[in-house]
Order: sequence, then C-alpha cells, then structure tokens
Amino acid sequence: MNNRIKEYRARFNFTQEDLAKKVNVRRETIVFLEKNKYNPSLKLAYDIAKVFDCSIEDIFYF
Amino acid sequence: MKKAVIIFILTALVIAGAILWLMSRSGNLRPADFMSFAVLALVVGFALFFGFKRLISARRGEPVEDELSRKIMRKTSSLSYYISLYLWLAIMYFSDRFVFETHTIIGMGILGMAIVFAVCWLVFNFTGLKNE
Repeated sequence: MNNRIKEYRARFNFTQEDLAKKVNVRRETIVFLEKNKYNPSLKLAYDIAKVFDCSIEDIFYF
Repeated sequence: MKKAVIIFILTALVIAGAILWLMSRSGNLRPADFMSFAVLALVVGFALFFGFKRLISARRGEPVEDELSRKIMRKTSSLSYYISLYLWLAIMYFSDRFVFETHTIIGMGILGMAIVFAVCWLVFNFTGLKNE
C-alpha cells in the first residue's frame, strides 16, 4: 500500500513531529509510513485522514 | 516515562551484578570471562539505548509506545523465541561433544537469547514492517 502523507504534510505545512503529535504516535512511525515501510491500522489511517480533512482513500492507495 | 525508568533500574541492577561478579573473581579472570563481559556490555548498551530512546520520546511529548513500536516488539518477541529454540538445540548438541560446566551452558543460553532479541529488534526497527 502507498500513501500521499508527505504530499499532504507539505500542503498543510506540517512537520513530521507536528503530524505525530496530532495523531498521537511517535515521529518514527510517521517516518516509516512516508517510506512505505509500515501499513497503519485503520484507526491511525482514519486519524491521519481526519487531520488532513479528507477521506482515507485520498491518502492511502494500492 | 515509567517504563523508561524501569529499564534504567534494571540496567543498574545488571551493572551492579556484573561488578559483584568481577569482584568475586578478584584477578582470576579467564579469556571466557572477558567474552561474557563483552556480551554483557553489549546487552547493557542496548538497554541504555532503548531507555534513552523512550526518555527522549517522553520529553518530546510523544507517546513512549505506539502501534508501530508495539507491533515491532510483538514481532521481535515471536521471532527471537523461535530462533532461541534452535539456539538451545545447538547448545545441547555441543554440550554433548564438549565439556562445559552447567552454569556456563545456562549463561551462554541466556546471553545468546538476549543477543538474538537485540538483533531481531534492530532488524525490524530499521527495515520496518511492510505489508503486515
């Protein structure tokens, strides 16, 4: 699974640390997500989509 | 934060145990003892690295544990247990062929398990858990 977290983060002008704090995970988790080294749980995917005010499908895709 | 403190307390206990062991030896150190001491130092180093990592996360205001770290720990535990079974099998095989004292064999097994755990954790922590 791929994602557009980095793209959305740049659009919203968030650092990895900002996003990590907003979705209550460690910064390393955001790093792993952006490198496609980790597939998030449904809850984390939902939280990230909520922060960027879009649907899960807009961020995560196959 | 509490878990980081527990790691530091456990590490301090291990260091104290190593010092007591060194004092009991009092100059009668064999080459095998230096080997055990090196492995012990490696385990302590890993624990300190782990503790400081958690402490830094706590100071940043991030959660000490999250879903990725928990998943890595679960995967590390299961894989290191699986590998440890083979380690004990190898130890049993060699203990039939070479003469070792019982406490040396047990010590080698425990330290081996600690090394296997540390290596598995490092591998998962750097390669990630893709498609899990």
